Amino acid sequence: MTHRALAFMRLQPQFASPSSGHLSQPLGRIRRVKLLPLVWAGIWRKPARSIFTALSIAIAFVLIGLLQGVNAGFAQAIAAARRDFLTTNVRVRGSPPMPIAMMEQIRTVPGVVEVVQRAYFIGSYRPPYDVAALATEARRFFALRPALAVEAKYLDEMERVRTGLLATPALLRMYDWKVGDLVTLRSRALKRDGSGDWDFTVVGTFDSKDDPNTAALAVINYSYLEASRVADRGTVDLFIVRIDDPTRSVATAAAIDRLFANSAHETRTRSDQERAEASTKQMGDIAFFTNAILGAVLFALLLLTGNTMRQSVQERIPEFGVLKAMGFSSAQCFALALAEALAIYLLAALIGLALASILAPLGREVATSIAVSGDVVARAIALAVLLAFLSVVLPSWRVYRLSVIAALAARRA
Amino acid sequence: MRAAAHILAVTAVSLRSIPHRLGNSLVIVIGIASVVAVLISVLAMSAGFQRTVLGDARADRVIILTPGADSESSSSLSRENVAAIVAAPGMKKGADGKPIVSADVLLVAPVSRKSSGADAYITLRGVGEQYFQLRPELQIVSGRMFEPGLHELIVGAAAQAQFAGLETGNRVRLHDGDWTIVGVFTGGDSVRESEVVSDAQTVMSAYKLDTFNSVSARLANEGSLAILKDALNLQPGVSVKVLTEPEHLAIVSRSINRLLRIVAYAIGGIMAIGALFGALNTMYSAVAARTSEIATLRALGFDSSTVLVSILIEALLLAALGACIGIAVAYVAFDGNAISTLGGARWDSQVVYSLTITPALVAIATALACGIGLLGGLFPALRAARASVAESLRTA
Repeated sequence: MTHRALAFMRLQPQFASPSSGHLSQPLGRIRRVKLLPLVWAGIWRKPARSIFTALSIAIAFVLIGLLQGVNAGFAQAIAAARRDFLTTNVRVRGSPPMPIAMMEQIRTVPGVVEVVQRAYFIGSYRPPYDVAALATEARRFFALRPALAVEAKYLDEMERVRTGLLATPALLRMYDWKVGDLVTLRSRALKRDGSGDWDFTVVGTFDSKDDPNTAALAVINYSYLEASRVADRGTVDLFIVRIDDPTRSVATAAAIDRLFANSAHETRTRSDQERAEASTKQMGDIAFFTNAILGAVLFALLLLTGNTMRQSVQERIPEFGVLKAMGFSSAQCFALALAEALAIYLLAALIGLALASILAPLGREVATSIAVSGDVVARAIALAVLLAFLSVVLPSWRVYRLSVIAALAARRA
Repeated sequence: MRAAAHILAVTAVSLRSIPHRLGNSLVIVIGIASVVAVLISVLAMSAGFQRTVLGDARADRVIILTPGADSESSSSLSRENVAAIVAAPGMKKGADGKPIVSADVLLVAPVSRKSSGADAYITLRGVGEQYFQLRPELQIVSGRMFEPGLHELIVGAAAQAQFAGLETGNRVRLHDGDWTIVGVFTGGDSVRESEVVSDAQTVMSAYKLDTFNSVSARLANEGSLAILKDALNLQPGVSVKVLTEPEHLAIVSRSINRLLRIVAYAIGGIMAIGALFGALNTMYSAVAARTSEIATLRALGFDSSTVLVSILIEALLLAALGACIGIAVAYVAFDGNAISTLGGARWDSQVVYSLTITPALVAIATALACGIGLLGGLFPALRAARASVAESLRTA
């Protein structure tokens, strides 16, 4: 009998005196808790092997967590996008901007609650870098863009000051602007007086709720742009529309586009959710690669752990023989091997996922958001259980069928 | 000499025992094969992208943009600027005596992917009449050239292969109605093959545009670049920058290339660490399984460094085998596969390219595999070399 099994038996009261006849009783009623020390001893039988196996598994789960997190990041962005907000664009990209008069027509479409126009204004404060500003009607614009946070007093200021400008903190920092500053942006869009220098007053700030402190963006009054510019007068780049019933987003979008079908300004209206979905698909054939990589990782992992488990089980056939001789059933032996694999897999998977969530913010570097969400973790854990099971099934088959005599005979003399 | 013979003999013995511990040895081989396959495929994306974008770059061609612009799409040149550029000195003249110049305007054409049906955009390039003289690498292979003034397009072969609805005779919906595809052109590995092309004036009047995006020109000879730059700098009212084609394309492709490389090395690096642990596992158990054999060898008089080197060689050979399998799998599965991602001449347009496994990539992957093999073999080898002979023989 191997010394570990002996040590284990010494620890357990029911094995204290092997001669007392207890062994003749079935051991099925050994409380499950009592198996834990046995599992633990099995794991530390060859510490180096268990540790290296666990580390490989942990590394694999770092990758699984990150790659699944990429998909989850896209899915979250799509799910978070709302269906009751629509945007109306020119139907063919690059077409001339749309006349603002279309806004009144869009309002007449049943289900439309609110519409706001948006035009781009590009100027530069410190060339060659550009400042991008959205020319709009601030109060309605922020009401229709709930992902942006702004204080009510700044909206009041925008209404009071025609040349008002709201800037994100990132933009304020970039040029060292403060609320109250007068700034001049030079633009290719000329004013009526022939100059391209546009004066603005910084009246406040706003920021993205989900992703603060990153985008450098400004909001200005459409009325100011419109009153002074020469080219493109009376036009906008985009309409943002809110509808009362999110479930009717497709029908309402189609109704808006029908208004302008066969006109000089054909439109394409989509819900925010549809747009998020389309921009994900724009990324190209990336998903194919994520899946191929995951496949390679899982294959290598299964091979590695399967081999480790095979070795571990094979080396311990005599021990299993002893356990069986003591009355452990085949199922219990299998459970023992499975429990060992599960312990290694789950511990390693958790370490890997923890590492993945630490590394996830670095994903911003490559322009995607990686979300190691609860869903990702749950799926990864389910995967760990499945892999543990698979890696144990084959090697344990021998244990299952093992006769006690053959197993004990496998002991070296 | 004698040491080498010893090492050879011991290595041969250990290699011959591999079939008895096949499962273990497979772990190192397959582990490294998957690392190599993944690393090399992602790097092949980057290499393919680079080859496609930089492939047709010629130092005797220049591209002229607005000073602040870092790409064609953010540049905007007025008709007056274009007229001044066309009249500037230093350009190669064609057979008809006109300079070989094309003023281009860039828009996008909506398409859908053949594979998934998802929407995408490809670059629509309006070009001058000298465009095909300027780019002799482009050849019309079927159909005919577009007719200026008519709503006609020709399509690059790569775009046609990747996206639906771009066959000759098909109609493409643009701003002012349907345009007909009348021909197909090829251009080697050029990014231009991912575009649809038409006459610049026709496109500009359809979209009511008054500015061009860029002007490309052939230089007369090596000294012409400086002459052209000087002439344009001195011209009042003209403010442009002149870049050679390789310069321009290197700037344009930098960010996507960087992204692909970061992804490749991050994923490859993480996988390499995992494979290293797998290799350590394999080699430790290989050493453990051969404890008595190694002790016997040493008792016979082979010294411990011979044992150490032979174990390292074994690990290295297994790693090299893994690298070969990984490279072969990546090559068979991916080399030449065409994919498309963002990265065309317009920020929102697609570029089609094929994965390209270059000798340099093979070298990088093989080096990584050998590194994993060596490191994975080193610690177990040290243990085997240090173990006491008597102890090992007794416990075995």
